[in-house]
Amino acid sequence: MTELYSSTPSAPSRRTTLRAAGGGTLLLGLGLAGCRSAVSEAEAPAGKAGAGPRRGGIVTVAVNSDFTPSLLFAQSGQSLQQRLIYNTLTRYDDRLKPQPELATSWEHAEDGRGITLKLRTGVTFHDGRPFTADDVIFAVKNLQNPLRAAQLRATAAAVTGFEKRGDHELVLRLAHPVNNLFDLFEFMVITDRNSVEDAVTGKKLNGTGPFKLTKWSPGSGLSLTRNEKYWQPDRPYLDGVELRVVPQADALLSSLRTGQSQLSFSVPGKNLAVVAATPELAISQYTTGGGAYYLGVNTTVAPLNDKTVRQALARAIDRERILKQVLGGYGLASATPWPKSSPAFTEAGRTHYTYDPGKARELLKSAGHTRLDLPLLHINLPGDTAVAEAIQYDLKQIGVQVTLQPTDPATAQKNLISQKMPGLWAMSHSFAQVQPSTLAVSAYPFNEAKNTSKFRSAAYTKVVREAWTTPGTGARANALRQQITDTLLDEAFIIDLVIRGAVQVSAKKLHGVTLNKFSYLNLDDAYLAG
Amino acid sequence: MRGYLLRRLPSALLVLLVASFVAFAVLRLVPGDPAAVLAGPDASPGTEAAIRARLGLDAPLHTQYLRWIGDLLTGDLGPSYAIGGQTADLIGEGLGATVELTLGALLFVVVLGAALGILGATSRNRWVGATVRILTTAALAVPPFVTGVLLVLLFAVVLGVLPPGGRVPLLDAPDLGVQYLLLPALCLALPSAAVLGRYLKDGIERALAEDYVRTATAAGIAPRRLLWHHALPNALPPVVTLLGMQTGHLLGGAVLVEAIFAWPGLGQLAEQALVRRDYPVVQDLLLLLVTVFVLVQLLTDLVHAWLDPRIRWE
Repeated sequence: MTELYSSTPSAPSRRTTLRAAGGGTLLLGLGLAGCRSAVSEAEAPAGKAGAGPRRGGIVTVAVNSDFTPSLLFAQSGQSLQQRLIYNTLTRYDDRLKPQPELATSWEHAEDGRGITLKLRTGVTFHDGRPFTADDVIFAVKNLQNPLRAAQLRATAAAVTGFEKRGDHELVLRLAHPVNNLFDLFEFMVITDRNSVEDAVTGKKLNGTGPFKLTKWSPGSGLSLTRNEKYWQPDRPYLDGVELRVVPQADALLSSLRTGQSQLSFSVPGKNLAVVAATPELAISQYTTGGGAYYLGVNTTVAPLNDKTVRQALARAIDRERILKQVLGGYGLASATPWPKSSPAFTEAGRTHYTYDPGKARELLKSAGHTRLDLPLLHINLPGDTAVAEAIQYDLKQIGVQVTLQPTDPATAQKNLISQKMPGLWAMSHSFAQVQPSTLAVSAYPFNEAKNTSKFRSAAYTKVVREAWTTPGTGARANALRQQITDTLLDEAFIIDLVIRGAVQVSAKKLHGVTLNKFSYLNLDDAYLAG
Repeated sequence: MRGYLLRRLPSALLVLLVASFVAFAVLRLVPGDPAAVLAGPDASPGTEAAIRARLGLDAPLHTQYLRWIGDLLTGDLGPSYAIGGQTADLIGEGLGATVELTLGALLFVVVLGAALGILGATSRNRWVGATVRILTTAALAVPPFVTGVLLVLLFAVVLGVLPPGGRVPLLDAPDLGVQYLLLPALCLALPSAAVLGRYLKDGIERALAEDYVRTATAAGIAPRRLLWHHALPNALPPVVTLLGMQTGHLLGGAVLVEAIFAWPGLGQLAEQALVRRDYPVVQDLLLLLVTVFVLVQLLTDLVHAWLDPRIRWE
């Protein structure tokens, strides 16, 4: 092409375009001097000054991971919204005594193979449909579905018969007695059976709870508004709740410190000191323990197949240091999985393996070892890495060289389920906060039939099955729990380190916040003081 | 211009095809699978198998690939495995946020880059020159996660004038949205603005050293006119190409900046999806990013050709 001059352009010239761009930028810049401030807009309007509960205001909860609708019926890292949108049948008090919620009273069958539930009347779902016994039947059957991946599926599956006595009375028949039915009732949210498929894709969450979902913005969070027809009179006090996703720990902390959010359970241990120094924020701790850090041991890898070696490892770890350095002092150093509120908790069990590197070395020597090289898999998140490094340091002091294997959560989970863990791994487990039998039936690391440690023993199986099917109170129940604890301590295939309760950071003006045993947030009675 | 565009298209399509292979294969090479994540740590093997079958993960790999591409071509992105909801909805939500952030950052890149470049090339004051050099070096050297934390600390925690994170969509409430956008956009823009500034400075300096400029100066044309009418237009074409490349960087950098400022964009979605091995979401996202990159590149080349006629005659 040899054209020297292009034809007259009809489009704007380069110069005009550049000028326009410059001018536009300037105009936008000037427009920025807006009238409203995002900082003051973000703060929740508080009620009028004075003592006692006040109506109004929106509470923003900072969470570090988004709501995952596909895990609605499983316990996941983010279960806070469950009890805001839905109700459960019963709710445990601090002593694990069930209190009425959608079930108002209950009666056990004499043979232990059933329970009669009286259900609350006058309860409606958010779309106006009345709640009936059919909804409870659906909820139990829903958890029996393997696709729901509900951790308490074993307990739900024990319910094999339903007998409806009108709309508000129901008998659940059991294949065999179980003593953790109320764990199921605390765990199982009552969803609308007509829209459950929309619920697991996040399209529509229709419950009977105190708040209605107005919007789920993936990656951003959930917006909830007050359910004006809630069955508890005059509740909730709050106009609404926002669950806002703030994945980065520093950003989450800033959001609390600047008043953008008023509540969080996701502040890492090392940041709690900063919170404690912020006058507007309060820290409180749930000592009922939702989870625990542990060191898992593959009992088929030599020399870890020798329980003396495992016991040596259990003695070599300074649990108090992990508690202090990784969890900011919030939690309970313990050799057993049980929190203080559990009927299986004993102080002797908790302190069974005190930090004693000398004794650990002796044990190792008695098993014929002075130096060992072992791999340790851990999740590559900051908190988990810190625990793994603490374990590595402590074990080095007794001559056990540990090679860390940082692994992403999905792979770690896959290895855990498929029993492909190396000699050692450090992770956390849950389910010791409710009936002790639930731990051995529903928490995979402890499962008598199939666990990652590949630990099998006829005696352990027998005691676990018996502990699950024996009534939960009385001397026999106590003896069985003690036997489970003794087995866990003696065999040391799961070496418990520190029990962590949920740590709540909240604005001081926010009152009445509670969590249930599965970390479902309850804001029925919450309010913002003036 | 049309001929130029047609010549560029086949290579762009080839890039997309290869990208689809890579996006599909890479995910499957990474250990860990979505069924295990969904099944949770307490699942029985039956649960995992049931979930695997529901997701279609029990089919051979080539079937899975063809199914995915077939669905894509019919405009169906399918359901998300792990997060829940339709992949198209998830990406749509995040896309708006990321585009907003990237455009905001791009504006900063252009304004700051132009200011740094012009000031650096034309200032006769030693101190101004040194300050510009120090600023560009600092903007390049300090990584966004440090800049981000510093910006939050200063503007949100200490001064309390801007929110530390979150987003209000610009279209919903422009006055609030802009305040949420300022810090993340600035944080994202700084390194690119520095690169652009340096390029522009060099370009202007080169142009100002040309013979015709000297002649024009001798003829008494004002320095300001020389800069705006002669040096700057000549320095621009390579800078525009660079701006296109930086847009890609901005998109990539957004992943980190979105985490710092809790900005609910594609970066956050990608991270969540990757951690949970949500194959459809990650695959579609990767392909989308490559497509955007290819398009931006194509657009850049077209603008370059528009600014510099020599290119389109080649």
